[in-house]
Amino acid sequence: MVLAAVTRSKRRKRNGSGLLIFSLPAVIWFATFMIYPLFSMLYLSLTDWRSLISSQSFVGFAQYAKVFADPIFWSAFQNTLLQLVIAVPTMTFLGFMLAYYLTLKPVGVTLLRIVCFTPALMSLSAKSIMFFGAFAPDGLINGLLRSVGLDSLTNAWLASESTALYSIIAIDIWSGIGFTAVLLAVRMSGISPEIFEAAEIDGAGHWRKMWRISYPVSKDYFGGLFMLQFLWTAFNSAALILLLTRGGPGTSTYTLSYLMYSKAFVGQSIGYSQVVGVSLFVLGLFGMWAIRRTFRSVV
Amino acid sequence: MAGVWFYAALLALPIYYIVISASKTNEEIFSFPTALPVKWSWENFGKAWEMAALGDGLVNSGVIVAASLLITLVLSIPAAYSIARSDGRLSRAVEVFFAGGFLIPTFAALVATVLLSIAVGLFQTKLFLILYYPATALPLAVILLTQYMRSIPAELAESAMIDGASRLKVLMLIYLPLSWPAVSSVLVVNFIAFWNEYLFALIIAGPSIETRTAQVALPTLAGLKMTDYGLMSAGTVIILIPVFVFYAILQKRLEGALAAGALKG
Repeated sequence: MVLAAVTRSKRRKRNGSGLLIFSLPAVIWFATFMIYPLFSMLYLSLTDWRSLISSQSFVGFAQYAKVFADPIFWSAFQNTLLQLVIAVPTMTFLGFMLAYYLTLKPVGVTLLRIVCFTPALMSLSAKSIMFFGAFAPDGLINGLLRSVGLDSLTNAWLASESTALYSIIAIDIWSGIGFTAVLLAVRMSGISPEIFEAAEIDGAGHWRKMWRISYPVSKDYFGGLFMLQFLWTAFNSAALILLLTRGGPGTSTYTLSYLMYSKAFVGQSIGYSQVVGVSLFVLGLFGMWAIRRTFRSVV
Repeated sequence: MAGVWFYAALLALPIYYIVISASKTNEEIFSFPTALPVKWSWENFGKAWEMAALGDGLVNSGVIVAASLLITLVLSIPAAYSIARSDGRLSRAVEVFFAGGFLIPTFAALVATVLLSIAVGLFQTKLFLILYYPATALPLAVILLTQYMRSIPAELAESAMIDGASRLKVLMLIYLPLSWPAVSSVLVVNFIAFWNEYLFALIIAGPSIETRTAQVALPTLAGLKMTDYGLMSAGTVIILIPVFVFYAILQKRLEGALAAGALKG
Protein backbone atom coordinates (compact mmCIF):
# COMPACT_ATOMS: atom_id res chain seq x y z
CA MET A 1 0.00 0.00 0.00
CA VAL A 2 2.57 2.48 1.16
CA LEU A 3 4.86 1.52 -1.65
CA ALA A 4 2.07 1.93 -4.16
CA ALA A 5 1.27 5.33 -2.74
CA VAL A 6 4.89 6.39 -2.96
CA THR A 7 5.35 5.28 -6.54
CA ARG A 8 2.08 6.90 -7.47
CA SER A 9 3.10 10.21 -5.96
CA LYS A 10 6.45 9.96 -7.72
CA ARG A 11 4.85 9.26 -11.01
CA ARG A 12 2.47 12.10 -10.48
CA LYS A 13 5.35 14.41 -9.79
CA ARG A 14 7.18 13.23 -12.88
CA ASN A 15 4.13 13.79 -15.05
CA GLY A 16 2.83 16.75 -13.07
CA SER A 17 3.20 19.67 -15.40
CA GLY A 18 5.39 18.08 -18.05
CA LEU A 19 2.37 16.44 -19.58
CA LEU A 20 0.83 19.83 -20.15
CA ILE A 21 3.09 20.23 -23.16
CA PHE A 22 0.30 18.27 -24.89
CA SER A 23 -2.01 21.21 -24.45
CA LEU A 24 0.47 23.74 -25.80
CA PRO A 25 -0.63 23.51 -29.47
CA ALA A 26 -4.26 24.08 -28.51
CA VAL A 27 -3.35 27.03 -26.30
CA ILE A 28 -1.24 28.63 -29.03
CA TRP A 29 -3.94 28.02 -31.62
CA PHE A 30 -6.62 29.59 -29.49
CA ALA A 31 -4.43 32.54 -28.60
CA THR A 32 -3.56 33.18 -32.25
CA PHE A 33 -7.03 33.01 -33.75
CA MET A 34 -9.24 34.12 -30.88
CA ILE A 35 -7.34 36.23 -28.42
CA TYR A 36 -4.98 38.09 -30.71
CA PRO A 37 -7.86 39.46 -32.84
CA LEU A 38 -9.56 40.73 -29.69
CA PHE A 39 -6.52 42.77 -28.76
CA SER A 40 -6.09 43.99 -32.28
CA MET A 41 -9.74 45.06 -32.22
CA LEU A 42 -9.06 47.05 -29.05
CA TYR A 43 -6.11 48.72 -30.69
CA LEU A 44 -7.91 49.47 -33.95
CA SER A 45 -10.77 51.09 -32.08
CA LEU A 46 -8.28 53.73 -31.02
CA THR A 47 -7.29 54.59 -34.59
CA ASP A 48 -8.97 56.50 -37.36
CA TRP A 49 -8.22 53.80 -39.92
CA ARG A 50 -10.69 54.01 -42.77
CA SER A 51 -9.91 51.27 -45.25
CA LEU A 52 -7.16 48.81 -46.00
CA ILE A 53 -5.44 51.05 -48.49
CA SER A 54 -5.38 54.17 -46.37
CA SER A 55 -2.92 54.83 -43.60
CA GLN A 56 -3.90 54.65 -39.98
CA SER A 57 -3.06 56.98 -37.15
CA PHE A 58 -3.61 56.60 -33.45
CA VAL A 59 -6.30 58.97 -32.25
CA GLY A 60 -7.04 57.46 -28.84
CA PHE A 61 -10.51 57.91 -27.47
CA ALA A 62 -11.37 60.54 -30.07
CA GLN A 63 -12.79 57.72 -32.19
CA TYR A 64 -15.05 56.67 -29.33
CA ALA A 65 -16.26 60.24 -28.88
CA LYS A 66 -17.07 60.38 -32.57
CA VAL A 67 -19.01 57.12 -32.55
CA PHE A 68 -20.91 57.94 -29.37
CA ALA A 69 -22.00 61.22 -30.90
CA ASP A 70 -23.42 59.44 -33.94
CA PRO A 71 -27.20 58.92 -33.81
CA ILE A 72 -26.95 55.74 -35.90
CA PHE A 73 -24.90 54.12 -33.17
CA TRP A 74 -27.61 54.83 -30.62
CA SER A 75 -30.43 53.67 -32.83
CA ALA A 76 -28.48 50.45 -33.48
CA PHE A 77 -27.94 50.11 -29.75
CA GLN A 78 -31.63 50.60 -29.10
CA ASN A 79 -32.57 48.07 -31.79
CA THR A 80 -30.20 45.52 -30.29
CA LEU A 81 -31.70 45.99 -26.83
CA LEU A 82 -35.23 45.74 -28.21
CA GLN A 83 -34.31 42.59 -30.05
CA LEU A 84 -32.84 41.04 -26.90
CA VAL A 85 -35.63 42.11 -24.58
CA ILE A 86 -38.36 40.73 -26.85
CA ALA A 87 -36.72 37.67 -28.36
CA VAL A 88 -34.87 36.06 -25.46
CA PRO A 89 -37.69 35.86 -22.87
CA THR A 90 -40.27 34.94 -25.51
CA MET A 91 -38.30 32.05 -26.94
CA THR A 92 -37.42 30.80 -23.48
CA PHE A 93 -41.00 30.86 -22.24
CA LEU A 94 -42.52 29.28 -25.35
CA GLY A 95 -39.65 26.79 -25.56
CA PHE A 96 -40.22 25.81 -21.95
CA MET A 97 -43.92 25.12 -22.54
CA LEU A 98 -43.12 23.09 -25.60
CA ALA A 99 -40.47 21.14 -23.69
CA TYR A 100 -43.00 20.32 -21.00
CA TYR A 101 -45.34 18.97 -23.65
CA LEU A 102 -42.53 16.92 -25.22
CA THR A 103 -41.84 15.23 -21.88
CA LEU A 104 -45.44 14.04 -21.71
CA LYS A 105 -44.58 11.87 -24.72
CA PRO A 106 -47.75 12.61 -26.67
CA VAL A 107 -48.70 10.73 -29.82
CA GLY A 108 -46.37 11.92 -32.56
CA VAL A 109 -43.64 13.04 -30.18
CA THR A 110 -40.91 12.04 -32.63
CA LEU A 111 -42.41 14.16 -35.37
CA LEU A 112 -42.79 17.04 -32.93
CA ARG A 113 -39.15 16.75 -31.89
CA ILE A 114 -38.02 16.83 -35.51
CA VAL A 115 -40.12 19.91 -36.18
CA CYS A 116 -38.69 21.56 -33.09
CA PHE A 117 -35.16 20.78 -33.97
CA THR A 118 -35.21 21.77 -37.61
CA PRO A 119 -34.58 25.49 -37.08
CA ALA A 120 -31.47 24.62 -35.09
CA LEU A 121 -30.10 22.71 -38.06
CA MET A 122 -30.65 25.46 -40.58
CA SER A 123 -27.93 27.91 -41.45
CA LEU A 124 -28.56 31.61 -41.33
CA SER A 125 -28.39 31.82 -45.10
CA ALA A 126 -31.03 29.10 -45.50
CA LYS A 127 -33.23 30.77 -42.90
CA SER A 128 -32.96 34.13 -44.51
CA ILE A 129 -33.80 32.80 -47.98
CA MET A 130 -36.76 31.02 -46.48
CA PHE A 131 -38.08 34.08 -44.69
CA PHE A 132 -37.32 36.28 -47.65
CA GLY A 133 -40.00 34.24 -49.41
CA ALA A 134 -42.31 34.09 -46.40
CA PHE A 135 -42.27 37.85 -45.77
CA ALA A 136 -42.37 38.88 -49.44
CA PRO A 137 -45.35 40.98 -50.59
CA ASP A 138 -46.69 37.92 -52.44
CA GLY A 139 -45.32 35.44 -49.99
CA LEU A 140 -46.57 33.04 -47.38
CA ILE A 141 -47.72 35.42 -44.68
CA ASN A 142 -49.64 37.76 -46.91
CA GLY A 143 -51.06 34.78 -48.77
CA LEU A 144 -52.39 33.35 -45.52
CA LEU A 145 -53.83 36.69 -44.46
CA ARG A 146 -55.61 37.06 -47.80
CA SER A 147 -56.98 33.54 -47.64
CA VAL A 148 -58.73 34.33 -44.35
CA GLY A 149 -59.96 37.70 -45.60
CA LEU A 150 -57.55 39.89 -43.66
CA ASP A 151 -56.28 41.72 -46.73
CA SER A 152 -56.04 44.93 -44.77
CA LEU A 153 -53.27 43.47 -42.62
CA THR A 154 -51.03 42.52 -45.52
CA ASN A 155 -47.80 44.38 -45.59
CA ALA A 156 -44.38 44.45 -47.22
CA TRP A 157 -43.01 43.15 -43.94
CA LEU A 158 -39.31 43.58 -44.53
CA ALA A 159 -39.62 46.74 -46.56
CA SER A 160 -41.68 48.79 -44.20
CA GLU A 161 -40.02 50.79 -41.49
CA SER A 162 -42.53 49.90 -38.81
CA THR A 163 -42.37 46.12 -39.26
CA ALA A 164 -38.88 45.29 -40.55
CA LEU A 165 -37.19 45.03 -37.15
CA TYR A 166 -40.08 43.02 -35.70
CA SER A 167 -39.90 40.66 -38.65
CA ILE A 168 -36.24 40.05 -37.86
CA ILE A 169 -37.13 39.47 -34.20
CA ALA A 170 -39.82 37.02 -35.28
CA ILE A 171 -37.17 35.03 -37.16
CA ASP A 172 -35.00 35.01 -34.03
CA ILE A 173 -37.88 33.66 -32.00
CA TRP A 174 -38.80 31.09 -34.62
CA SER A 175 -35.19 29.90 -34.64
CA GLY A 176 -34.86 29.77 -30.88
CA ILE A 177 -38.06 28.15 -29.63
CA GLY A 178 -37.56 24.64 -30.91
CA PHE A 179 -33.94 24.41 -29.89
CA THR A 180 -34.74 25.68 -26.40
CA ALA A 181 -37.54 23.13 -26.18
CA VAL A 182 -35.34 20.22 -27.14
CA LEU A 183 -32.60 21.27 -24.71
CA LEU A 184 -35.03 21.65 -21.83
CA ALA A 185 -36.72 18.39 -22.75
CA VAL A 186 -33.38 16.60 -22.45
CA ARG A 187 -33.15 17.99 -18.94
CA MET A 188 -36.75 17.23 -18.01
CA SER A 189 -36.61 13.68 -19.34
CA GLY A 190 -35.30 12.69 -15.92
CA ILE A 191 -38.69 13.32 -14.32
CA SER A 192 -40.42 10.00 -13.76
CA PRO A 193 -43.98 9.67 -15.08
CA GLU A 194 -45.19 8.61 -11.62
CA ILE A 195 -44.65 12.11 -10.31
CA PHE A 196 -46.95 13.52 -12.98
CA GLU A 197 -49.49 10.80 -12.32
CA ALA A 198 -49.46 11.54 -8.60
CA ALA A 199 -49.94 15.22 -9.33
CA GLU A 200 -52.85 14.43 -11.62
CA ILE A 201 -54.53 12.38 -8.91
CA ASP A 202 -54.24 15.45 -6.70
CA GLY A 203 -56.07 17.36 -9.41
CA ALA A 204 -53.16 19.33 -10.83
CA GLY A 205 -53.67 20.62 -14.37
CA HIS A 206 -51.01 21.20 -17.00
CA TRP A 207 -50.25 24.68 -15.80
CA ARG A 208 -49.55 23.56 -12.24
CA LYS A 209 -47.58 20.51 -13.27
CA MET A 210 -45.50 22.66 -15.55
CA TRP A 211 -44.55 25.18 -12.89
CA ARG A 212 -44.45 22.96 -9.83
CA ILE A 213 -42.70 19.94 -11.29
CA SER A 214 -40.98 20.68 -14.57
CA TYR A 215 -39.78 24.18 -13.80
CA PRO A 216 -37.84 23.39 -10.61
CA VAL A 217 -36.10 20.48 -12.35
CA SER A 218 -34.95 22.51 -15.32
CA LYS A 219 -34.31 25.75 -13.44
CA ASP A 220 -30.55 25.31 -13.38
CA TYR A 221 -30.52 25.13 -17.17
CA PHE A 222 -32.14 28.50 -17.59
CA GLY A 223 -29.03 30.54 -16.79
CA GLY A 224 -27.01 28.73 -19.45
CA LEU A 225 -29.85 28.94 -21.94
CA PHE A 226 -30.32 32.65 -21.42
CA MET A 227 -26.64 33.28 -22.01
CA LEU A 228 -26.64 31.25 -25.16
CA GLN A 229 -29.71 32.93 -26.57
CA PHE A 230 -28.43 36.30 -25.54
CA LEU A 231 -25.20 35.79 -27.46
CA TRP A 232 -26.92 34.31 -30.49
CA THR A 233 -29.48 37.02 -30.73
CA ALA A 234 -26.99 39.81 -30.20
CA PHE A 235 -24.30 38.56 -32.53
CA ASN A 236 -26.00 36.57 -35.23
CA SER A 237 -28.24 39.35 -36.38
CA ALA A 238 -25.50 40.70 -38.65
CA ALA A 239 -25.82 37.86 -41.16
CA LEU A 240 -29.61 37.88 -41.09
CA ILE A 241 -29.81 41.63 -41.59
CA LEU A 242 -27.14 41.62 -44.26
CA LEU A 243 -29.15 39.09 -46.25
CA LEU A 244 -32.63 40.46 -45.61
CA THR A 245 -32.68 44.21 -45.10
CA ARG A 246 -29.15 45.63 -45.13
CA GLY A 247 -30.11 47.79 -42.19
CA GLY A 248 -33.03 49.37 -44.01
CA PRO A 249 -35.50 50.72 -44.69
CA GLY A 250 -33.76 53.86 -43.54
CA THR A 251 -31.77 52.79 -40.52
CA SER A 252 -34.64 50.89 -38.95
CA THR A 253 -32.94 47.51 -38.78
CA TYR A 254 -29.41 48.58 -37.89
CA THR A 255 -28.23 46.54 -34.94
CA LEU A 256 -24.82 46.79 -33.31
CA SER A 257 -23.50 43.68 -35.00
CA TYR A 258 -24.70 44.79 -38.42
CA LEU A 259 -23.35 48.29 -37.85
CA MET A 260 -19.96 46.78 -37.05
CA TYR A 261 -20.08 44.77 -40.24
CA SER A 262 -21.27 47.53 -42.50
CA LYS A 263 -18.86 50.18 -41.23
CA ALA A 264 -15.93 47.87 -41.91
CA PHE A 265 -16.95 46.28 -45.20
CA VAL A 266 -19.37 48.74 -46.75
CA GLY A 267 -18.74 52.10 -45.14
CA GLN A 268 -14.95 52.10 -45.20
CA SER A 269 -14.43 53.03 -41.60
CA ILE A 270 -12.53 50.33 -39.75
CA GLY A 271 -11.83 52.47 -36.69
CA TYR A 272 -15.54 53.25 -36.26
CA SER A 273 -16.45 49.62 -36.82
CA GLN A 274 -14.05 48.49 -34.13
CA VAL A 275 -15.50 50.89 -31.58
CA VAL A 276 -18.83 49.20 -32.27
CA GLY A 277 -17.09 45.83 -31.97
CA VAL A 278 -15.71 46.77 -28.56
CA SER A 279 -19.14 48.01 -27.48
CA LEU A 280 -20.69 44.76 -28.59
CA PHE A 281 -18.02 42.82 -26.76
CA VAL A 282 -18.61 44.80 -23.59
CA LEU A 283 -22.38 44.37 -23.96
CA GLY A 284 -21.81 40.62 -24.33
CA LEU A 285 -19.69 40.41 -21.20
CA PHE A 286 -22.06 42.61 -19.24
CA GLY A 287 -25.07 40.57 -20.35
CA MET A 288 -23.45 37.31 -19.33
CA TRP A 289 -22.40 38.74 -16.00
CA ALA A 290 -25.92 40.02 -15.35
CA ILE A 291 -27.53 36.72 -16.35
CA ARG A 292 -25.13 34.77 -14.19
CA ARG A 293 -25.88 37.00 -11.20
CA THR A 294 -29.62 36.89 -11.68
CA PHE A 295 -29.78 33.16 -11.96
CA ARG A 296 -27.42 32.58 -9.10
CA SER A 297 -29.63 34.55 -6.77
CA VAL A 298 -32.79 32.90 -8.08
CA VAL A 299 -31.58 29.32 -7.88
CA MET B 1 -53.25 20.54 -25.61
CA ALA B 2 -54.35 20.98 -29.19
CA GLY B 3 -52.74 24.39 -28.88
CA VAL B 4 -49.32 22.82 -28.93
CA TRP B 5 -49.98 21.27 -32.30
CA PHE B 6 -51.15 24.54 -33.69
CA TYR B 7 -47.96 25.97 -32.41
CA ALA B 8 -45.88 23.16 -33.89
CA ALA B 9 -47.63 23.80 -37.17
CA LEU B 10 -46.54 27.41 -36.91
CA LEU B 11 -42.94 26.26 -36.45
CA ALA B 12 -43.22 23.84 -39.33
CA LEU B 13 -45.08 26.13 -41.71
CA PRO B 14 -42.08 27.98 -43.17
CA ILE B 15 -40.36 24.66 -43.80
CA TYR B 16 -43.44 23.24 -45.49
CA TYR B 17 -43.64 26.42 -47.53
CA ILE B 18 -40.09 26.17 -48.76
CA VAL B 19 -40.36 22.49 -49.65
CA ILE B 20 -43.54 22.94 -51.70
CA SER B 21 -42.33 26.17 -53.26
CA ALA B 22 -39.26 24.36 -54.55
CA SER B 23 -41.50 22.52 -57.00
CA LYS B 24 -43.53 25.51 -58.13
CA THR B 25 -43.27 28.40 -60.51
CA ASN B 26 -43.44 31.97 -59.28
CA GLU B 27 -47.05 32.30 -60.51
CA GLU B 28 -48.12 29.23 -58.56
CA ILE B 29 -46.32 30.43 -55.42
CA PHE B 30 -48.03 33.81 -55.57
CA SER B 31 -51.51 32.60 -56.35
CA PHE B 32 -51.63 29.60 -54.00
CA PRO B 33 -48.90 30.03 -51.41
CA THR B 34 -49.90 27.13 -49.17
CA ALA B 35 -51.24 24.69 -51.75
CA LEU B 36 -49.31 21.62 -52.83
CA PRO B 37 -47.86 21.96 -56.32
CA VAL B 38 -50.20 20.89 -59.09
CA LYS B 39 -47.43 18.86 -60.60
CA TRP B 40 -44.18 18.05 -58.75
CA SER B 41 -41.43 19.36 -60.96
CA TRP B 42 -37.72 18.98 -60.35
CA GLU B 43 -36.72 21.65 -62.78
CA ASN B 44 -35.96 24.24 -60.09
CA PHE B 45 -33.51 21.91 -58.41
CA GLY B 46 -31.43 21.45 -61.53
CA LYS B 47 -31.52 25.15 -62.29
CA ALA B 48 -30.55 26.16 -58.76
CA TRP B 49 -27.75 23.61 -58.74
CA GLU B 50 -26.33 25.11 -61.91
CA MET B 51 -26.92 28.80 -61.37
CA ALA B 52 -25.42 28.92 -57.88
CA ALA B 53 -22.78 26.29 -58.68
CA LEU B 54 -24.02 24.45 -55.61
CA GLY B 55 -21.95 21.39 -56.48
CA ASP B 56 -18.74 23.38 -56.09
CA GLY B 57 -20.08 24.99 -52.94
CA LEU B 58 -20.94 21.66 -51.35
CA VAL B 59 -17.51 20.27 -52.18
CA ASN B 60 -15.79 23.34 -50.71
CA SER B 61 -17.94 23.12 -47.60
CA GLY B 62 -17.19 19.42 -47.28
CA VAL B 63 -13.44 19.95 -47.56
CA ILE B 64 -13.44 22.84 -45.09
CA VAL B 65 -15.63 21.04 -42.55
CA ALA B 66 -13.71 17.76 -42.72
CA ALA B 67 -10.30 19.41 -42.39
CA SER B 68 -11.50 21.69 -39.59
CA LEU B 69 -12.95 18.77 -37.65
CA LEU B 70 -9.71 16.86 -38.00
CA ILE B 71 -7.67 19.78 -36.68
CA THR B 72 -10.15 20.29 -33.85
CA LEU B 73 -9.61 16.72 -32.70
CA VAL B 74 -5.85 16.75 -33.17
CA LEU B 75 -5.61 19.84 -30.98
CA SER B 76 -8.24 19.12 -28.36
CA ILE B 77 -7.70 15.45 -27.59
CA PRO B 78 -4.08 15.74 -26.36
CA ALA B 79 -4.93 18.98 -24.57
CA ALA B 80 -7.86 17.39 -22.75
CA TYR B 81 -5.78 14.36 -21.86
CA SER B 82 -3.01 16.46 -20.42
CA ILE B 83 -5.42 18.57 -18.35
CA ALA B 84 -7.33 15.53 -17.12
CA ARG B 85 -4.21 13.66 -16.10
CA SER B 86 -2.07 16.26 -14.45
CA ASP B 87 -2.66 18.39 -11.46
CA GLY B 88 -1.22 21.52 -10.01
CA ARG B 89 -1.68 25.16 -10.66
CA LEU B 90 -0.64 25.16 -14.29
CA SER B 91 -3.13 22.47 -15.16
CA ARG B 92 -5.90 24.45 -13.47
CA ALA B 93 -4.79 27.55 -15.33
CA VAL B 94 -5.01 25.82 -18.72
CA GLU B 95 -8.45 24.50 -17.88
CA VAL B 96 -9.64 27.94 -16.80
CA PHE B 97 -8.15 29.40 -19.98
CA PHE B 98 -10.40 27.20 -22.11
CA ALA B 99 -13.42 27.45 -19.83
CA GLY B 100 -13.07 31.21 -20.03
CA GLY B 101 -12.86 30.93 -23.80
CA PHE B 102 -16.57 30.14 -23.80
CA LEU B 103 -17.32 33.54 -22.50
CA ILE B 104 -15.50 35.43 -25.21
CA PRO B 105 -18.05 36.65 -27.75
CA THR B 106 -15.69 36.01 -30.64
CA PHE B 107 -18.00 37.37 -33.28
CA ALA B 108 -17.10 40.85 -32.10
CA ALA B 109 -13.61 40.24 -33.48
CA LEU B 110 -14.85 39.50 -37.02
CA VAL B 111 -13.07 42.45 -38.60
CA ALA B 112 -9.84 41.82 -36.74
CA THR B 113 -9.94 38.18 -37.81
CA VAL B 114 -10.35 39.21 -41.42
CA LEU B 115 -7.37 41.55 -41.04
CA LEU B 116 -5.37 38.66 -39.60
CA SER B 117 -6.18 36.55 -42.66
CA ILE B 118 -4.96 39.38 -44.88
CA ALA B 119 -1.79 39.81 -42.81
CA VAL B 120 -0.83 36.14 -43.16
CA GLY B 121 -1.64 36.12 -46.87
CA LEU B 122 -4.60 33.76 -46.59
CA PHE B 123 -7.43 36.16 -47.43
CA GLN B 124 -9.96 34.62 -49.83
CA THR B 125 -8.70 31.10 -49.27
CA LYS B 126 -10.27 27.99 -47.83
CA LEU B 127 -7.15 27.41 -45.76
CA PHE B 128 -7.75 30.28 -43.38
CA LEU B 129 -11.23 28.99 -42.55
CA ILE B 130 -9.78 25.53 -42.02
CA LEU B 131 -7.35 26.99 -39.50
CA TYR B 132 -9.82 29.40 -37.94
CA TYR B 133 -12.88 27.20 -37.30
CA PRO B 134 -11.06 24.78 -34.96
CA ALA B 135 -10.06 27.71 -32.75
CA THR B 136 -13.73 28.60 -32.27
CA ALA B 137 -14.45 24.99 -31.32
CA LEU B 138 -11.58 24.50 -28.87
CA PRO B 139 -13.13 25.69 -25.59
CA LEU B 140 -16.10 23.36 -25.84
CA ALA B 141 -14.08 20.45 -27.23
CA VAL B 142 -11.37 20.68 -24.59
CA ILE B 143 -13.77 21.05 -21.67
CA LEU B 144 -16.10 18.28 -22.82
CA LEU B 145 -13.22 15.86 -23.43
CA THR B 146 -11.43 16.77 -20.21
CA GLN B 147 -14.51 16.03 -18.15
CA TYR B 148 -14.97 12.75 -19.89
CA MET B 149 -11.34 11.65 -19.60
CA ARG B 150 -11.29 12.48 -15.88
CA SER B 151 -13.92 9.82 -15.40
CA ILE B 152 -11.63 7.17 -16.88
CA PRO B 153 -9.82 5.39 -14.01
CA ALA B 154 -6.12 6.35 -13.98
CA GLU B 155 -5.16 2.79 -13.02
CA LEU B 156 -6.05 1.60 -16.49
CA ALA B 157 -3.17 3.51 -17.96
CA GLU B 158 -0.76 3.02 -15.10
CA SER B 159 -0.12 -0.62 -15.82
CA ALA B 160 0.51 0.16 -19.44
CA MET B 161 2.95 2.87 -18.44
CA ILE B 162 4.83 0.48 -16.20
CA ASP B 163 5.18 -1.72 -19.24
CA GLY B 164 6.96 1.17 -20.87
CA ALA B 165 4.25 2.59 -23.08
CA SER B 166 4.75 6.26 -23.91
CA ARG B 167 2.22 8.92 -23.01
CA LEU B 168 1.24 9.25 -26.62
CA LYS B 169 0.66 5.53 -26.91
CA VAL B 170 -1.46 5.51 -23.77
CA LEU B 171 -3.52 8.34 -25.18
CA MET B 172 -4.02 6.74 -28.55
CA LEU B 173 -4.61 3.17 -27.43
CA ILE B 174 -6.40 3.58 -24.11
CA TYR B 175 -7.92 7.01 -23.70
CA LEU B 176 -9.03 7.70 -27.24
CA PRO B 177 -11.14 4.57 -27.72
CA LEU B 178 -12.70 4.99 -24.27
CA SER B 179 -13.53 8.61 -24.91
CA TRP B 180 -15.43 7.91 -28.11
CA PRO B 181 -18.81 9.16 -26.80
CA ALA B 182 -17.32 12.55 -25.97
CA VAL B 183 -15.33 12.65 -29.22
CA SER B 184 -18.45 11.97 -31.24
CA SER B 185 -20.33 14.71 -29.40
CA VAL B 186 -17.57 17.14 -30.31
CA LEU B 187 -17.75 16.01 -33.94
CA VAL B 188 -21.51 16.28 -34.15
CA VAL B 189 -21.81 19.73 -32.60
CA ASN B 190 -19.02 21.16 -34.68
CA PHE B 191 -20.13 19.54 -37.89
CA ILE B 192 -23.33 21.54 -37.64
CA ALA B 193 -21.56 24.71 -36.54
CA PHE B 194 -18.89 24.60 -39.27
CA TRP B 195 -21.29 23.54 -42.00
CA ASN B 196 -23.72 26.35 -41.24
CA GLU B 197 -21.27 29.20 -40.60
CA TYR B 198 -21.97 32.10 -42.90
CA LEU B 199 -20.40 35.47 -42.19
CA PHE B 200 -16.75 34.47 -41.75
CA ALA B 201 -17.05 32.21 -44.79
CA LEU B 202 -18.55 35.04 -46.82
CA ILE B 203 -15.79 37.50 -46.07
CA ILE B 204 -12.74 35.32 -45.60
CA ALA B 205 -13.26 32.63 -48.25
CA GLY B 206 -15.09 35.13 -50.40
CA PRO B 207 -17.56 34.93 -53.26
CA SER B 208 -15.46 33.28 -55.99
CA ILE B 209 -16.68 29.85 -57.05
CA GLU B 210 -13.36 28.16 -56.26
CA THR B 211 -13.48 29.05 -52.57
CA ARG B 212 -17.04 29.82 -51.59
CA THR B 213 -18.99 27.49 -49.33
CA ALA B 214 -22.51 26.21 -49.94
CA GLN B 215 -23.88 28.75 -47.46
CA VAL B 216 -22.29 31.59 -49.38
CA ALA B 217 -23.39 30.19 -52.74
CA LEU B 218 -27.05 29.87 -51.76
CA PRO B 219 -27.93 33.55 -51.31
CA THR B 220 -26.51 34.36 -54.74
CA LEU B 221 -29.81 32.93 -56.02
CA ALA B 222 -31.57 35.88 -54.40
CA GLY B 223 -29.35 38.37 -56.18
CA LEU B 224 -30.41 37.49 -59.70
CA LYS B 225 -32.22 40.13 -61.68
CA MET B 226 -35.61 38.53 -61.30
CA THR B 227 -36.61 37.11 -57.94
CA ASP B 228 -37.49 33.49 -58.52
CA TYR B 229 -38.81 32.03 -55.28
CA GLY B 230 -39.08 28.51 -56.60
CA LEU B 231 -35.43 28.56 -57.53
CA MET B 232 -34.36 29.95 -54.17
CA SER B 233 -36.47 27.39 -52.33
CA ALA B 234 -34.99 24.54 -54.32
CA GLY B 235 -31.46 25.77 -53.55
CA THR B 236 -32.29 25.96 -49.85
CA VAL B 237 -33.67 22.44 -49.83
CA ILE B 238 -30.50 21.17 -51.50
CA ILE B 239 -28.14 22.62 -48.93
CA LEU B 240 -30.34 21.45 -46.05
CA ILE B 241 -30.20 17.83 -47.17
CA PRO B 242 -26.74 16.92 -45.80
CA VAL B 243 -27.57 18.22 -42.34
CA PHE B 244 -30.90 16.45 -42.29
CA VAL B 245 -29.43 13.14 -43.38
CA PHE B 246 -26.95 13.56 -40.56
CA TYR B 247 -29.75 14.35 -38.13
CA ALA B 248 -31.84 11.41 -39.28
CA ILE B 249 -28.98 9.03 -38.56
CA LEU B 250 -27.95 10.54 -35.26
CA GLN B 251 -31.09 12.07 -33.81
CA LYS B 252 -30.68 11.07 -30.16
CA ARG B 253 -26.94 11.59 -30.07
CA LEU B 254 -27.23 14.96 -31.75
CA GLU B 255 -29.80 16.31 -29.33
CA GLY B 256 -27.82 15.10 -26.35
CA ALA B 257 -24.59 16.47 -27.80
CA LEU B 258 -26.04 19.86 -28.57
CA ALA B 259 -27.54 20.03 -25.10
CA ALA B 260 -24.19 19.21 -23.55
CA GLY B 261 -22.39 21.57 -25.88
CA ALA B 262 -24.75 24.42 -25.32
CA LEU B 263 -24.90 24.17 -21.59
CA LYS B 264 -21.40 23.22 -20.52
CA GLY B 265 -20.57 26.90 -20.50
